Amino acid sequence: MLHRSKSTFLGVALTLALVLVLLIGGGFSVRSLITRAFDDTSDIRHALGLARQVLVAQLDEETGVRGYAATGNRVFLAPYEVARRRFPTLMRALQRQLTAIGANDARTIAEDMDATNGRWVREVAEPVANATEDPRKLGVQLAGKALVDHFRADSDRINSVVVAQQQAGQTAIRSAIDRINILIASAAIVIAAIGGIFLEVQRRADLRIERERVEAEIKRREAESLRSAYDAEKRIADSLQEAIAQRPLPTLPTLRFSATYVPATEETKVGGDWYDALELPNNRVLFAIGDVTGHGIEAAVTMNRARQALISSALLEGDPAAVLGRVNDEMYRQNAPLVTAVAGFADAGTYEFVYSTAGHPPPLLIEPGRRPRLLECGSLPLGALGGSRYQLHRIQSVPGATLVLYTDGAVEHSRNVIEGEELLIDAAAGAAEAHAEDTASFIHKTIFDGRAVGDDVAILTISFATDIATGVRISADDAQSAFVGRLGRSVPPGLRSARQGRRHVVLPARLAS
Amino acid sequence: MSAISVIRLTGELEISRKDEIRRALHLVGSEGGILVDFFDVTYADSTTLAELLRFRREADAQGIPVAIVIGSRQFARLIQYAGLSDAFPVFDNRAAALTFLAAEAKA
Repeated sequence: MLHRSKSTFLGVALTLALVLVLLIGGGFSVRSLITRAFDDTSDIRHALGLARQVLVAQLDEETGVRGYAATGNRVFLAPYEVARRRFPTLMRALQRQLTAIGANDARTIAEDMDATNGRWVREVAEPVANATEDPRKLGVQLAGKALVDHFRADSDRINSVVVAQQQAGQTAIRSAIDRINILIASAAIVIAAIGGIFLEVQRRADLRIERERVEAEIKRREAESLRSAYDAEKRIADSLQEAIAQRPLPTLPTLRFSATYVPATEETKVGGDWYDALELPNNRVLFAIGDVTGHGIEAAVTMNRARQALISSALLEGDPAAVLGRVNDEMYRQNAPLVTAVAGFADAGTYEFVYSTAGHPPPLLIEPGRRPRLLECGSLPLGALGGSRYQLHRIQSVPGATLVLYTDGAVEHSRNVIEGEELLIDAAAGAAEAHAEDTASFIHKTIFDGRAVGDDVAILTISFATDIATGVRISADDAQSAFVGRLGRSVPPGLRSARQGRRHVVLPARLAS
Repeated sequence: MSAISVIRLTGELEISRKDEIRRALHLVGSEGGILVDFFDVTYADSTTLAELLRFRREADAQGIPVAIVIGSRQFARLIQYAGLSDAFPVFDNRAAALTFLAAEAKA
């Protein structure tokens, strides 16, 4: 674009320069034409004047001679003498002037005039002037008349030739001036056209620049609004997430909790991870962890909804499978993004965990003196299928045992989940060995060791106290009966296999770990 | 008997390939059965698993049986996490899956 307007400018400049040169040249040629016309005119006038003087001189000669011849009085011869002496000078001047104006025809005529006059002087005037007898008696008058007529005819011819030349010169000047006028008019048109083109080019360039500026401005504003929308979304998602992180863990004599939540370092990936540990009525302790598919506000909102649904379901239902079933139906009805979760109850009296998973990685159990192990998992994510059943898992454990719940970021960081699980188990073993106060943070630090985290990672641990004397013994079953009884509800169905109703489910033994 | 369609995906299935996965996992409507071949898949994120579940719902609505073939332990583990073996018959080779689908189609 820049290149094109540059060459356009160059073309315009060149054309203008050419027009200018033509105009200046034209101006000079007009000037010289007019000057020459003035010169020619005065030369021609001079020639005409000389021709008249020649004629006057001849008239004087002739009048003098005729007067003398008619009267015999010599007084008449005085003008003749004067004119006869002046005539040659005038005639030479006339001939020179005719040559000067280029009237060669007229010059020839002038030579004839000169000769005629000479003849007249010799044959008519001198014989009369020098006659000793009465000039009236001389018979030269007739011959003289013929010569004088011839002379006057020559004079008339010279006049017409010179006048014709004068007119031709004037016509030439007029047409030259017309040509100059045409040149000036053409130049004016060319200049106007170039001016128009130049203005049009300029206008288009201005339009283009303006359009580009407007487009750039629109892009900038779009980027800005995207950025601010993104910032706003991130702020909202962050504060929703923060609200979760700030929920305090219960302080109980019989159970110890630790938790960590580390958001993704890639800021586009603020996710929907959450955890909860809550002391419910009748000495029940609910633990839950979850993860919403996707990121951003929708994920954060869904997470909050799933979380609230899970807590309220835990108030109504006695076992985690039923709790998840309720949440699932709720999420399925709302057509929410899929949510994976683990929910369960811990019984510090019997050292028993009951839990169910929904599309979520399995809990990990650390027991004193044993290598940590991953527990069972399975069942579809929450919201995937209406009426899904969830498997209930009951783990009879020991004092000092710790249940570790985590979100998939903790095992899927390398995309190799088998390797991820090994790292997690090692980290858990390390935490047990170090008697870490904050087991969750210890495990996170061990796995990631300061590395950038591509996904959110939440970890929640629940540990049974080693000293049972401080614990209040209430079994999970007692708690459930008491709770349900108070609400006047029937006991929910017991263990139900999630695989019920399927004819074929073949998870290859070779692939199952 | 209608033909059995095979949908094959490979590599790591994650959100950046969402459109490709969504295009692959769609029904023509006249299938006698669908074999989703994940034999060469080693990883799938939750977005992909959600797509797979959506696909199953669609197939279910049309009464088209779907079977999954997997070949990597890692992916098998993820399938287990997600409880997908509750939703799909899962096989470790194509022949077994085809036999299953053929039997389903007859039934």
